[in-house]
Amino acid sequence: MAQFHIRFGWWILDRRQLSHDILNYIERLRVMHDLAREQDYSVIKKEELLSDLAETVRLLEAKLKDLAQ
Amino acid sequence: MDKIICLGKNYLEHAHEMREETPDKPVLFIKPPSVLIEPKENGSVLLPWGRGAIHHECEVVFKLYKKNIIGLGLGLDLTLRDLQKTLKEKGHPWEISKTFKNSAIVTPIKGLRDFPKDWQDTPFSLRINGELRQEGCLSQARMKADEIIHYINEFFPLQDGDLVFTGTPKGVGPLQVGDVVELTYGPISHSFRLVDLG
Repeated sequence: MAQFHIRFGWWILDRRQLSHDILNYIERLRVMHDLAREQDYSVIKKEELLSDLAETVRLLEAKLKDLAQ
Repeated sequence: MDKIICLGKNYLEHAHEMREETPDKPVLFIKPPSVLIEPKENGSVLLPWGRGAIHHECEVVFKLYKKNIIGLGLGLDLTLRDLQKTLKEKGHPWEISKTFKNSAIVTPIKGLRDFPKDWQDTPFSLRINGELRQEGCLSQARMKADEIIHYINEFFPLQDGDLVFTGTPKGVGPLQVGDVVELTYGPISHSFRLVDLG
């Protein structure tokens, strides 16, 4: 029984971490959106932003799939 | 946004006016995103007036992406000063004096490209009902931009979209219901009114 509780606890913590990661990726996308909307590439260059976008979308999709399982 | 990170006692003159010891490095504390408000131009901000003096602390605000400063704003870090004083005297944590609804007010964030290259030398100011209450520039602070990011990163995991309140110069003081607040910094000039939460 104790082992079940420990495993269930870890499962809850894993899902919380997944949610946290997903929300951070969404926030990252929001920042990217603002930079792209303003076409502000003074700090983050356009190529870097587009590369970050592709990577973040990939990670977001993977995490969302994990969460949905 | 994950969090708002604030520096305390980053300007020596403010530390002196508070008549408190100045630590070797600025104090760090966090406000949750739920206390943030970005008032519209000529909009209103509701505050809880029945809980003692609410003091303004005008501060340059950074917006972060990948630990880079991508935008700047001007903010008010509001403090329930009576409560904070009581808590400090008892040696208790004083977070609750800093984390009430709308206690982190920030102007719209503008991109770094909209500011002069010497934006750390660019003056910022707070006027209440037309009267100058606080003014300064980040270059007067003990810790400047790059050092601030490095310092915070030692203690907190920085997330994209996090905001940093960089500390306040001298001149903090009480706010009143009905005050018209004007924040000015480089391309930013933003006004709003303080109203009663009821």
